[in-house]
Amino acid sequence: MGVLERQFEENVLTTKVDWLLNWCRLSSIWPMTFGLACCAIEMMAVGCAHHDIDRFGAGAFRASPRQADLMIVAGTVNFKMAERIKRLFDQMPSPKYVIAMGACATGGGPYYKYGYTVVKGVDRVVPVDVYVAGCPPRPEALLEGLMKLQEKIQRSSVIRRPARTA
Amino acid sequence: MVESKTVESKTVETRVDPHGPAQKNEREFMLDVRTQDLEVNMGPQHPATHGVMRILVRADGEICTGAQPHLGYLHRCAEKIGENVEWLQYLPYTDRYDYLAAMNNNLGYSMAVEKLMGIEIPRRALMIRTLCAELNRIGSHLIAFGTYGLDIGAFTPFLYMFREREWMMALFEKICGARLTYSYIRIGGVFNDAPPGWLSEVERFCDTFEEKWQEYVDLLMVNHIFVQRTANIGVISKAMALDFGLTGPMLRASGVDWDLRRDMPYELYAEIWKSGCFAIPLGTGERGTLGDCWDRSYVRVMEMIESIKIVRWCLGAIEPGPVIADIPKTLRVPTGEAYVGIENPRGELGHYVVSDGGKIAIRCRVRGPSFTNLAVLEELMPGVLIADTIAIIGSTDIVVGETDR
Amino acid sequence: MDFRGIHDRLLAVAAPGLLGHDLPRPSNPADKKDKGRAGDPFVWVEPALLPAFLEVCRDDPRLAFEILVDLSAVDPSKDDPNMWVVVQLLSLSFRHRLAVKCTLPKASAALPTSTPVYRAAQWHERECAEMFGITFSGHPDPRNILLPEDWVGTPLRKDYVFPDEYHGISCK
Repeated sequence: MGVLERQFEENVLTTKVDWLLNWCRLSSIWPMTFGLACCAIEMMAVGCAHHDIDRFGAGAFRASPRQADLMIVAGTVNFKMAERIKRLFDQMPSPKYVIAMGACATGGGPYYKYGYTVVKGVDRVVPVDVYVAGCPPRPEALLEGLMKLQEKIQRSSVIRRPARTA
Repeated sequence: MVESKTVESKTVETRVDPHGPAQKNEREFMLDVRTQDLEVNMGPQHPATHGVMRILVRADGEICTGAQPHLGYLHRCAEKIGENVEWLQYLPYTDRYDYLAAMNNNLGYSMAVEKLMGIEIPRRALMIRTLCAELNRIGSHLIAFGTYGLDIGAFTPFLYMFREREWMMALFEKICGARLTYSYIRIGGVFNDAPPGWLSEVERFCDTFEEKWQEYVDLLMVNHIFVQRTANIGVISKAMALDFGLTGPMLRASGVDWDLRRDMPYELYAEIWKSGCFAIPLGTGERGTLGDCWDRSYVRVMEMIESIKIVRWCLGAIEPGPVIADIPKTLRVPTGEAYVGIENPRGELGHYVVSDGGKIAIRCRVRGPSFTNLAVLEELMPGVLIADTIAIIGSTDIVVGETDR
Repeated sequence: MDFRGIHDRLLAVAAPGLLGHDLPRPSNPADKKDKGRAGDPFVWVEPALLPAFLEVCRDDPRLAFEILVDLSAVDPSKDDPNMWVVVQLLSLSFRHRLAVKCTLPKASAALPTSTPVYRAAQWHERECAEMFGITFSGHPDPRNILLPEDWVGTPLRKDYVFPDEYHGISCK
């Protein structure tokens, strides 16, 4: 900070562009209303007053994928649904994130062995950032998943130095 | 009709009007609203379909002329799994088809297996089962009613109802450790006894709930906007309800006095009904027509308070004793087949189990009430406004986990 | 009415296709192999006459089965050449139930649809058709209901082989 010190008036903070952009992104993750099964009820509970996902800036559930940043795959994915999930994911604007909520979305869960129509993990269809364990996960677990995602966003780098040409 | 696509006054003059001669202004108006059939795909990702269901709505302007539900986006092969895992191992899967009323599902499956095995259930276990099933019914109706309000534009009641539901889920968490998928009611009884102080907390919950329940009625049930959106919409006549095999609140809203808890009593319901502590609410048609969306909501709301009465009866009559019959770890169920239907919050939940005397079922058929109740949509939808289709879907109160299983 | 009464009434009105009935019975202590049968009684019905039988059940004033609760099928075992179609009926006015059963050969599993009698049968039959490969002749809407349109195989048959992949997604 040596160079920049006392260069500006008061109430000015200096930071990295990366940090600022990441901070903006992680503080207002808009999830998509995308409940599939049992986990969706817990997702609703997270959105309600008792657990209140709004505290982490992720309370604005969007019905349209085009307004959403985060897809919380809450429930079992089967083959009939898999193609739709892929399409919904493609419709989301970048940067986009996916949380696989619960055992089914993570790896088929209790339906792994005999579920002939169940996709064994949503990561076979779309890339997943955070897996949340549980069947269904407690609301606190989903909140922790969200915080993990925020940590991940915090580490990402937006500005890239152009590759040097010799 | 109109020869040229551009609407000019000249064209309007020469237009052949199928509705006969009319004033010029009126004709222009009709030209303006002339529409064509449009197929709108509602779902599978749609906030008002209560899960992942797709409804192909054919719309003429704002009038829905046809609807075709497409299911199977949550087909999880429950019946196949039932034929592959042991009797006791299947119990957790029963939680997951109607995940809003998992206790009732556990109860239905356990009763079907118990019927084949002929097990005597201890009285305290019956009490706790009845109590839990009724508490779960309240929780399920809370979601049904709350999300129904959400569907037709009332957001706040939803938050209120989750407040009570959180308490209810905390109660279940104390008794079995899970918030949503309990597996608490086992074959032969219940998993464990209620922890100390649990029953008195249930009583406190009942006291609070009765107070809050009045709030919901004032907030939403008799709310003018809510009544306007739901009364006279999606009317199901008595004959239609029987023909489609509707059960539960959908049937009672059409004025058919039928409740398995009273008419084919299981567990302790015969005794409870004799004590006269609860009633069966029926659709009245007081705000519109008998069997409309408002009546269906009304039946659910009234059922909540009746369930509280049953819970209170159980709390008063519960006695100490064992909570589970003596059953082996690996069940061998006698040869035979049994069908048991119980009154789920959504209607008759039937379990049809077939055994050949082995450790694994031959067939584990689940008759989900949502599945049958949903079939009526095809008949209800034509002729209503697009906005009302949402009201109709919400009023059927389906759980997609159960329609698809 | 109990099952005896219902069965007697069915005989009295000469319900079409009624073949017989099956009651639960205790095990035979003399014969160790005979373990008896538990559960519910049911009636056997000729599959081709099932809709006519259901119509009698619905319209007879003493039976009055207003609701078709369930229609499904059972594949008893891999070796059995037959499977069963099971219908559960419920009467609201008399508070009784009846289970109706038909035997179908697996090789040519077909029976007429019951949809004209009970509309409730429509979706149950669609599910039954895709899960067991039963053809319901005259069904108004014989599409798959739960499985995708292009699904191969009938999952609830005992000889069903689990798929390896579907549309490029591995099932293993």
